[in-house]
Amino acid sequence: MKLNVNGRERDLTGVPEHMPLLWALRDKLDLTGTKFGCGRAQCGACTVHINGEAARSCSVSVRDAVGKRIVTIEAVSGRVADAVRSAWQKLDVVQCGYCQSGQIMTAITLLSSNKKPSDTDIDAAMDGNICRCGTYVRIRKAIHEAAKSLA
Amino acid sequence: MAAFQAKIYELFRSAAAGKSPFWIGAGVAGAAFAVAVLSIVLPRGGDREASLGAWDRVASVLQHRRCLNCHQSNEPLQGDNPRRHTPRVVRGHDNQGAPGMRCSSCHGEQRNNEASRVPGAAHWKFAPRSMSWAGLSAGALCRTIKDPAKNGGRSPRALVKHVEDDSLIHWAWAPGGERKPIPIPHYVFVEFVDEWVRTGAHCPD
Repeated sequence: MKLNVNGRERDLTGVPEHMPLLWALRDKLDLTGTKFGCGRAQCGACTVHINGEAARSCSVSVRDAVGKRIVTIEAVSGRVADAVRSAWQKLDVVQCGYCQSGQIMTAITLLSSNKKPSDTDIDAAMDGNICRCGTYVRIRKAIHEAAKSLA
Repeated sequence: MAAFQAKIYELFRSAAAGKSPFWIGAGVAGAAFAVAVLSIVLPRGGDREASLGAWDRVASVLQHRRCLNCHQSNEPLQGDNPRRHTPRVVRGHDNQGAPGMRCSSCHGEQRNNEASRVPGAAHWKFAPRSMSWAGLSAGALCRTIKDPAKNGGRSPRALVKHVEDDSLIHWAWAPGGERKPIPIPHYVFVEFVDEWVRTGAHCPD
C-alpha cells in the first residue's frame, strides 16, 4: 500500500488497511508533529491536509487515504502557511503547544479560501480545534494578523 | 378528466344518433378502451386510503433520527437522543460546511470510520434549507416531499428513483457505530414509496 505524504510516495506495506492515518503517520513514517488527542474527531489535534482540505487523520483509515495528497505540519508550505507561521511567532500564540499543529493546519485552510475572515468565520472554522491552555484569544488575533499580511 | 368524459359522452351520443351497429360498436369499444387507459394513468380516488397507509410507513422512515438529524434548518443534530452536533458546524454556502470546517474534514466519503465512529458516505452534506423537515407533521412533510420547488425538482416517480439510489439514503441502513439503523429493510421502504406514488401520492391533513 502506498501513500502520497508530503509530496513523496511512501511505502506502507504490511500496515493494516483499517489503521487510522494518524498512527501510520506517527508510528510508521515518524511524522510526529501531528498529535493524538481524542481519536474521535472531537479535538482537532490530529488535523492534516488531505487534497488541500483540513481533515482529522484519526478518522481516516489508511485504506481511504490511498490516492490522496496528504500534507502534515512538517511540510505545509506556501504563502498562506508562511503568513500563519509568522503571525503565530509574532504574537507568541503557543503555550504548551500540543494543539497547535492542528490549529495551524486548520487556520491555513481557512485563510486559503477566505483571505479576510470575520470573527464568525473564524469561529466556524476553528471550533473543532480545542486548546487546553486557552490560547483562543491569541489564535484569533494571529489569524487576523495573518489575514492582514496576506492582503 | 372532464375533457375526456365529454369526449366519451360525445362518442356515445353520435353512435346512438348514427343508429348504425358499426358505429355503436365502435363507440362502446372506444369508451371501454378510454376507461381502461385512464384507470392506469390517472390517480384512483378509491385508493386514497391505500396511499395514506403507504405514506404512514414512508413517514416513519423519514422521521427517524437517521434522516431527521441532517434535515434541519440551521445546524445538524447527532445521535439518537439527539444532541447538538459537536464540534459546532454550520451550513456554509454549499451545504457542505464553512471554510476550514467542511463536512469532509471529519466525515469520510467512502464509508463509516469504525476507529473514530464517525459516520461517512458519498456526498456527505447538510440537506438544503428547502428540505428542512424539523417540526413538520406527517401531512406537512408529505406536501414538502411532493413540492418540486422544495424537493430538488423531482416528480413523484423521480422520488422513487431517488430513494432507491441515493448514497446518503442508503447510509441510513448501515450507519455504523452505535447508531440505530432504520428498522424496515431498504427495499421495503422503496416499495412503500412506490405504492404511495402509484396510489396517487395522497397526503394526510
